Amino acid sequence: MKHRTKKYLSAMAALGVLSMIGAASADETTGLTDTTIKVGVMGPFTGNASSYSKTQIGLMAYFKHINDQGGINGRKFDIVQEDTACAPAKGIAAAKKLIYQDEVFYLHGNSCSGVAMAVKPTVAPTGIPWIIAHAVNPKISMPVNEKRSIFHGVPAGPAYGSTMGKFVMSKPGVKRVAMVTHTNDWAKAYCDPAIEVIKAAGGEIIEELALERGQTDATAQVLKLKQAKPDFILACLYEAETVIFLRDAKKYGVRIPVMGTAGTDLENTLERLGDPDAVKDYYVLHAFVDKVDGPKMKKWNDIILKYYPNETITGFSAVSMASGVAAVKALEAAGRDLTRSKFIAALENIRGLETGILACDITWTPTDRHGCKKSAVAGFVDGKPAILSAWGKAW
Amino acid sequence: MYYFLQLTLSGLAQGAIYGLIALSMTVVYRATTVVNFGHGDFVMAGAFTVYVLVIYLGLPYVPAAVLAVVIMFFLGMGISRGFIDPIKTGPHIGFAMMSISLGYVLRGGARTLWGREVFPMPRVYDIDPIFIGELVVTGDVLFISAIVAVLLTIFFLIFYRTAIGIVIQAVYQSERGATLVGINVQAFHQSMWGVGLAMGAIGGILIAPISLLYPDLGATFLIRGFAAMTLGGFGSLGGAIVGGLLLGVAEQNFGFYINTALIDITAYLVIVAVLVIRPTGLFGKAVTVRV
Repeated sequence: MKHRTKKYLSAMAALGVLSMIGAASADETTGLTDTTIKVGVMGPFTGNASSYSKTQIGLMAYFKHINDQGGINGRKFDIVQEDTACAPAKGIAAAKKLIYQDEVFYLHGNSCSGVAMAVKPTVAPTGIPWIIAHAVNPKISMPVNEKRSIFHGVPAGPAYGSTMGKFVMSKPGVKRVAMVTHTNDWAKAYCDPAIEVIKAAGGEIIEELALERGQTDATAQVLKLKQAKPDFILACLYEAETVIFLRDAKKYGVRIPVMGTAGTDLENTLERLGDPDAVKDYYVLHAFVDKVDGPKMKKWNDIILKYYPNETITGFSAVSMASGVAAVKALEAAGRDLTRSKFIAALENIRGLETGILACDITWTPTDRHGCKKSAVAGFVDGKPAILSAWGKAW
Repeated sequence: MYYFLQLTLSGLAQGAIYGLIALSMTVVYRATTVVNFGHGDFVMAGAFTVYVLVIYLGLPYVPAAVLAVVIMFFLGMGISRGFIDPIKTGPHIGFAMMSISLGYVLRGGARTLWGREVFPMPRVYDIDPIFIGELVVTGDVLFISAIVAVLLTIFFLIFYRTAIGIVIQAVYQSERGATLVGINVQAFHQSMWGVGLAMGAIGGILIAPISLLYPDLGATFLIRGFAAMTLGGFGSLGGAIVGGLLLGVAEQNFGFYINTALIDITAYLVIVAVLVIRPTGLFGKAVTVRV
């Protein structure tokens, strides 16, 4: 009897080991069939940051475009879309659903750094490849996680923040800089590197003001700025609050240049304010090689409008398509016998990829996952939107 | 002194909206003892109704706003009749759950329809700011203050100077007594839900051109409405207004003179402070139970 039990336990243990091996092997190809690659696209499709989901719409349009071109090595994208509402709890639920219920091959997308940081402990240990296509917190992808699975396909905070800082300090005579910011990881990802650059260039931060999400009035912040008289203002704010801040700044006669993040875009801000005079001193990070409706962006905008004809093209629309181009290149390089490890290895080998979308090229290495290192700035010059590399200097 | 006056002016305009929302919550609370935890979403729904009427149906703004208020009035009556009356015999917590759920249903509906956008709300007014020395009295401040003042005057005149007001006060004081003298209390509850939602909708319509319009808009105002109610005294109509105005002014001045991070938590600080120091608020009455 004892001997039988021993045999039974040994058999069960062997089965367990085999099933684990099977699971490990299945993990490598989970989400793949002979004809499809299942990709999970998370984004804030609802909520007050939902205009960022235009980036995921652009990405999904690109995947559909690739499908219509015949796919990659005989496989087409099978897109599973999940809403995070830019809320960490919903983001975690969305990630778990995509990983364990939908069993996607890889994750791509994710606006809202706070959500991405909250989701990271759920995603990173699984080793599922995850390409960040919009969020900017550098800690999402660096240092390289143990499974080497996370990649940043847009400029992360240091790249964006240093661009903001350099642009501010490129205006002759700027010394005293004030900042208005949300108190979250997303805002810190922009403002902290910008402050470092400003201080290194001899500037000083004379005011640090909070303007939280959902606030509908910025009178107190604007009056403090009026009192402090800075030379430039850093505004690390989401879109709705940027509009409220600029409106109140104009209202109280504060006509100081404002440098905004990639969380806003020039045309959208103008549309929401409905007042060109209120945005004439507003400068904003601009990730693209051209104006949003410029000739170099037409190809990409056309792809979006082909698959989402009711979509309004804004400065967010094509941002994530660049990392889509990188993903497609890596999937092609990984070959027909695709596994997650091969895909990760192919992503790590992308060097100097000019996507024709972003103002930076994409380079990923085994030790650096911030693929994109620079950005342009957009602002109104003589009443017309212009792409700038420094104060008064065209891109 | 300039900064204090400017902040106070802006705070009064914000506070007028908080007060209006708190008053609309108080009307329902006084009439039915139900605290409407979904009220912020009804505020949002009022603003979105105007948006639909103006943008999609092409109505002029003012008729659209009036129609939206009427729609919200009937929605309030319908909610009372369809969702609140049937659970009256259940535990009181059921009212809270129901109001939260109805609010989320509205929010979810708005997210489904307009989820990915933050909309600029059309403006009915374009009033040039008035400058008194360095002091700026903006069009927003003038318009919101004027509308709220007119509404409150009408509301309090009806409440204290008309036969309808006497009926309302009678039911507030004793539902059983009101029933005995022939007042239809159920219909009264339904009307007060209608009035509450209509007034909340006016708050939403006034604030949306300033705050922009999005489905989660109401959450910000719900907590401020509660804070204004608490400060003014739960159940006090005048207290709701005074509480809202004081909260608006406090937010601005705390933000400027102490720290801008305080603006977002002023409402919570007010609730905590009032409940600890004077639980009845400024104008509330302590409830005494004779045993």
